[in-house]
This record gives sequence, structure tokens and C-alpha cells, in this order.
Amino acid sequence: MPAYQQDYYALLGVPRDASPEEIKRAYIEAAQKLHPDKNKAAGETEIFLGVQQAYETLSNPSRRAQYDATLPPEVNTSLPYRHRIVQSRTSIGRLNEPQMHYLILELEPPADSQKTSSPPLNVSLIIDRSTSMLGQKMDVVKATAIQVLRSLRPQDILSVVAFSDRAEVVIPAAYNQERSKLEPRIQAIQPSGATEIFQGLEAGVKEVMRSIDAKRVNHIILLTDGHTYGDEQQCLSLATKLAEQGIGVSGMGIGSEWNDIFLDALSTRTGGNSAHISDPQDIKRILLEKFNALTQTFAEDVTLEVRPVDGVEISYVFRLQPDPAPIPSVDGKYHLGAILQDTSTRAIFEYIIQPKAVKSETLTFMDGTLKVSMGTQPLPVPPLRMRLSSSVSDTPPTGSPPLEIHQALSRLTLYRMQERARKEIERGNFDTATRQLQMLADNLIAQGERSLAHTIAFEVDSLKRQRSLSEEGSKKMKYGTRSLFLASPKKELVQ
Amino acid sequence: MIICPNCQHENVEGAVYCVECGAQIDGVETLVTKAITDQEIEEELKKKAPRPEADSVPANSWLSLHLMDNGKILPLASRNEFTLGRLSEGQPIMPDIDLTPFQAYASGVSRLHAVVKRDGNRVVVMDLGSSNGTYLNGRRLNPHLEEELGHGDIVALGKLKIQILLRDI
Repeated sequence: MPAYQQDYYALLGVPRDASPEEIKRAYIEAAQKLHPDKNKAAGETEIFLGVQQAYETLSNPSRRAQYDATLPPEVNTSLPYRHRIVQSRTSIGRLNEPQMHYLILELEPPADSQKTSSPPLNVSLIIDRSTSMLGQKMDVVKATAIQVLRSLRPQDILSVVAFSDRAEVVIPAAYNQERSKLEPRIQAIQPSGATEIFQGLEAGVKEVMRSIDAKRVNHIILLTDGHTYGDEQQCLSLATKLAEQGIGVSGMGIGSEWNDIFLDALSTRTGGNSAHISDPQDIKRILLEKFNALTQTFAEDVTLEVRPVDGVEISYVFRLQPDPAPIPSVDGKYHLGAILQDTSTRAIFEYIIQPKAVKSETLTFMDGTLKVSMGTQPLPVPPLRMRLSSSVSDTPPTGSPPLEIHQALSRLTLYRMQERARKEIERGNFDTATRQLQMLADNLIAQGERSLAHTIAFEVDSLKRQRSLSEEGSKKMKYGTRSLFLASPKKELVQ
Repeated sequence: MIICPNCQHENVEGAVYCVECGAQIDGVETLVTKAITDQEIEEELKKKAPRPEADSVPANSWLSLHLMDNGKILPLASRNEFTLGRLSEGQPIMPDIDLTPFQAYASGVSRLHAVVKRDGNRVVVMDLGSSNGTYLNGRRLNPHLEEELGHGDIVALGKLKIQILLRDI
């Protein structure tokens, strides 16, 4: 009997104290993935039969009780990764007004883990070949794609899709291809036509789905330089489905004529990230870095699912590293992306706590489940219950939060200042936006970020004259303030 | 609620940085309304009754600039003329007094905005053709024309308000 059949809870990927609803949902999710009509890999039908058996037992209270009695006490509760939580305050004050609370969640491989071999890749590279890519952009993209193809390990799968207003598969997803023979196909990509991202995305998804496998890093990389028109909603709902399947999407925008808000929304809902490539020269570096990060995957599809708590709202979530980006909530789920071998994954959560939530002695402000998928582990990683409580006191502790939260917030504040200013511009409040950006520029000067401050000062002028930001400048602002998270603090330097 | 001392924005309790202007606010005291009795006021006054002169002021300081937005006082000494402005990259002429730390950019202070001079017994201010103008007690000054200053006058460089504190010369 295979090992996974021994524990129904592990098979369904639920903790032993899971509620009937959780069991039901886990069963439906597993069934959707593993049903014989749908599953791909060999042996999954057997796992599906095991899942069915597990559900039949655990969904019936008396049978579940009987089964529980036969279980050995939970011995192996240690998780294959480490997690750490830092909160801004040790206790929450009993206040008659709303208050904010912050926490940082950090996930990393265990300290003693030898550098385990990373799971093989199943990546689809989707290349925009619209007319605007003509010239240097296309040349660098092609050269880089060929370089990626050469550098892959034998077990990796790479498919390449080129799209304009329709898509064609340049290299289909397949094992054991003779790669040197595929290079001319990449060379032959010719730019022409318009940009319809959904066409490319759909074709790329098909390729990834051909060899989708929980033991692989399933990822889509979209390279584009243009706006897509009318199919944004289609793309986003496709991305939401991809997130459920554990497929990450990364979007890379070349130049300035693309929609960063859309590309961000597309990628962050899957745990991926978007990047701004202002100079075509940088395409190679950024794309190779992305592939390198994918081959460094320790665990992926880190998802925090939270249940609503009365009077407590998660008002903002931001992944600090790797790839700093705001993380949207998709039906109460936050897709935090991958955990890399050499970089921990850190995210900061901002809570707004209403007076009605602090009536009793303790407040459980977070009631969630953290799920992680690890291709190298034979069994599903047991989900981690994230039930965080804090004592409520009449005199809240004063003073500064821990240094870690302080540092994260000092940069997050700058990022959110430009975010706020862009929202004000959308609403037509140009004076407010101008003032906010000016203050952002002041702050950046004070921190020694002169070139970014200069960009913003330029945008302030543009805003005053034309009542809009430049395409290039608004992207530089967004990705520039994000990249501050990666830099070491500069404040201490004497100028 | 925490009111940002820099921009007066009302931030939610527990905020660490002001969402509006980015200033750090976690050290700022929470505003709590509290009844104060007359007795407490008198005791408080007694404690602080003899207010000593700021000891860091050099003896030969003839002028101090009181930055009204944050209450800082800059004593000036040793020269008879000071240009006011803000430092910026690649600028050939530097102001004597750099107001960058006091939100000069946001307040609309030019790089070379104005000059204050001691001229015999008089102290004068002159606008140096700034973009947003120099105001004396709310009246806009003509550029490149000297105006006499008195103790307690308020000079505004753009929106940056500075009170002039003169010492008997």
C-alpha cells in the first residue's frame, strides 16, 4: 500500500481538526484536479481513488470517529519549511476608534536543509510579436529565448508561444526534445500585427496544461510591449483559474506603452510578479534572472486563505521579498508566490481593527490557513493553521514597533504615496496628487534617492501642465519605489 | 487618531508613517482629551517659570530664523548677509542657508530665493526673483527691492513661513 493511503488527512491536505466544510472543500479541489477525465500524470487515478475513499470516511462523523481512533498520535507535525511572525505591537489597545496593526510573515527553507535539487520546470514563454516589437526589442528577446533554451536542464520543459492578434505555438511543451533543432524556430519569429494578450495567454496556458504536474514548477512568463484592448477581463479570470491550479504568471513590460496596472493585476493574483524593462538591453538580464529564480524554487504556490473576523479588516498586503509587489485578495486568498532556496519570502499585512472587535480580553485577528506546495515532497504538505491572537489591554504599549516592521513600513509608505497619488489622478483630483507627489519627491531626496526624486519632480511638472503623468514616468515611479525594498537602507549614509 | 506634526493629516491610530506626507509619526503622542484643573496649570507654570535663553545661540548672533511649521530656530551669526534657498543637484550657486530639511521643495522655495542683510542698524530682506515670491507679513514683495524687517515680522518664502527674531545690535 502506498504511503499516502495510510493517512486520509494527509491525502486530502487538511489538518486533523479540520471542520466538515474544510474536508468537503479539500475533496472538491482534489477531485477537480485528479479526476480521471482530467488528470495528466501517471498514477494520479490511483491517488484520486484514495482521495475518494478518504472523503467517504471523513465526511461521515461516526466513520470519521472510528477512523480517528485507529490513527497513531500525530508524530510528524514538523513542517518542511520554517515560518516566523513579527507583530507591530505586543498587545492591542481597547480604543474607541479604529486602529492599525501590522504583522510580517516570513517563510524559508529549514536551516539544515541541504540544497535539495529543485523541481523541474514546466514553463511557457509567451512572446508579444506585434509590429511595435520590431528591431532591437525582438532581437534581444529571441537571443535570450535561445540562451534560456540552451541553459535548461534535461528534465525541464519549455514551450514558446508567439502572439499578435492571434497566437501560434513556436515550441510545444514536450519532454526530451532535441533543443538545438528548435533554435531556428525561435529565430523565425517575425513581428507583425496588433497585441491581443488573451490570445497568447490562452495558447501558453494550453502548453503548460499539457504537462502540468504538481512535482514541477508550472509557470507562465508573458513578455509584451503594448496595451491590450477589450480582453483584460478575460485574461484576469483566466489568471484566477491558473492560481487555483498552482500556475504562476509573471508579466514583463518592455518600454512604456503597456498597461502596468493590468499586468500587475494579472500576475499578482497568481503569486507572480510584473517587471518594467525600460531599456531593451535589460530584457536579457531580467529574463535570465527570472528563469534563475524559477530553478531556485524550494516551494511554490504559497497561499494564505483567511476567514473574515468581525470588526477586523486586512487593509493591505505587500510582499517584501522576493519581487516586491502588493498582493490582492482573490476570494479571501492571498497568493504569496514561491519560496526560493536562498531568499526567504516575506510579506507584511496591515490590519484595521474596529472598536467592536476589542471588547473582550483577547482578539483573534487572523484566522487562516497557510498552504504550500512542494514538488519535491511525495505527500501534500500539511496546511498550517494561522490563528493569531493578541491580548487586549486598556493601556496599549507605546513606543516604536520592531525595527523590521519599521524598515518595511518606511519604504512601503513611499510606495503607497505614489499609489495614492495615481488614484487621486484617476478621480480627477490633480491638486491633491501634485501635492502628494511633491512630498514623495521630498522624502526620496531626504533618503538620498536623487534620480527617482528627479523623475517624480518631472512628473509633477507634467501633472501641472497636462493633468496627466507620462507613461514612462508613472512606471518608473511604481517600479522605482518597489525596488527600494531591495536596496539596503541608505538613510545612514553621510552625503 | 494620530495627527501628523508635519502635514496635519489625520492618521489611524497605530500608524507608523503618515500616509499623506511620509513623515514618521510613531513617536508622536496620541491625542487624548483630558480635563486640567486650574491648580495643575499654576503648578506647571511655576515649574517652567524662568525660561532660559537658548544656550546654543552664539553671542554675536544678530538674527534668528524661527521656522514656524516645526518650531525650529536657526540662529545666524558671523556674517552680514545670508542667502536663503534649497540645495539641488547640479546647481552652481549654493544658498548660504539650505532649507531642504524643512520641506522647502514642497513649500515652493526656489533654489536661490531671498537674501537677508544687515545694513548699518537696519536688517533688510530682498527677493531674488523667486518663482513663488517672498511675502512680508502677507504682502508680496517686489523682486530685487530691499524691505526693512522688524522683530517678529513673518517672511514667507513661497509657503514656508519664517518669523524674524532680531537681537539688538
